Amino acid sequence: MAVRSVAGPDPAVQPVQALQAALAAEDAAIFGYGVAGAHLSGNRKTAAEQDWTRHNEARDTLTAMISALGATPAAAQAYYQLPFEVQDAASAAKLAAYLEEGVTRAYLGIVAVSDKRLRTFGALAMQVPAERAAFWRGSTEAFPGLEPS
Amino acid sequence: MLAASAAALPALLATAGCRSSDAFAGPDPLAGRPSLAPDVITLQAVIAAEQAMITLYRAAVDADLQATDRVRVLEGLLAQHREHLGQLQARLVLPPGSPSPSPSASPSASPSGSRGAVPARVTTARLRAAERASVTDLLRRLVTVEPALAQLFASIAASDATHVVALGG
Repeated sequence: MAVRSVAGPDPAVQPVQALQAALAAEDAAIFGYGVAGAHLSGNRKTAAEQDWTRHNEARDTLTAMISALGATPAAAQAYYQLPFEVQDAASAAKLAAYLEEGVTRAYLGIVAVSDKRLRTFGALAMQVPAERAAFWRGSTEAFPGLEPS
Repeated sequence: MLAASAAALPALLATAGCRSSDAFAGPDPLAGRPSLAPDVITLQAVIAAEQAMITLYRAAVDADLQATDRVRVLEGLLAQHREHLGQLQARLVLPPGSPSPSPSASPSASPSGSRGAVPARVTTARLRAAERASVTDLLRRLVTVEPALAQLFASIAASDATHVVALGG
């Protein structure tokens, strides 16, 4: 009798590695919202601006956490390849949802570490981008951050 | 090799002055079920809570006779809770004869944290409270289980958090 592990035995996830992945996702989201925001107006533009601010705050938090663990936070890239062309409000909203889903997945990676405080941090942190992704997508998901099986 | 050894067993027992029935006198050490691992107990409790959540949503949907916007929202969230339940049950491996988890299997089975029957009128506020309680419960439990299960709990908690927003929270 056991709990069936779908992905098999989990290799030990290193805290710094998981935090760096979340930082990279936040940096990509900050860049992406700059693109998306240029194609939005009204309440949606305001929402995008607020989300951009929250991602900057989250980046600062992760940077501090990585430094506290004795590691050097990875620098953001100058440019990120977008997954599709953004040319109007609809594609901008789609990009915002894409960004939030990616950030959600990155925080879920932190949940795999053995440190209980980091696990809780990751689980709490992923709820915020999951809610924003639902906003931009217009619908909720059963398993935010997990790949469809 | 195994067949030869099994065939030789009665002869060996006879040599030792024993009958085969004597070898297993007293409690049969092979008949017992293994004790449940902590992750299994946790998973059973989460399954029971998810079942209770589904019961609550079904009561809310069934109470509304018209296909209102509220019902459509609730049906969508109910479908996602059924997906949660399916994934949770898929992770559970029990030996034959083990009791399956039920809504009454755990003190925390009620998603709102309270015991008792589902009321006839399930308000949106009650559902929001149940979703919030589920998020809290899953966050508490995910620190004690193996990583893959912790990630499933975290994902379901995040889904439940989005449900709170969808319910106007």
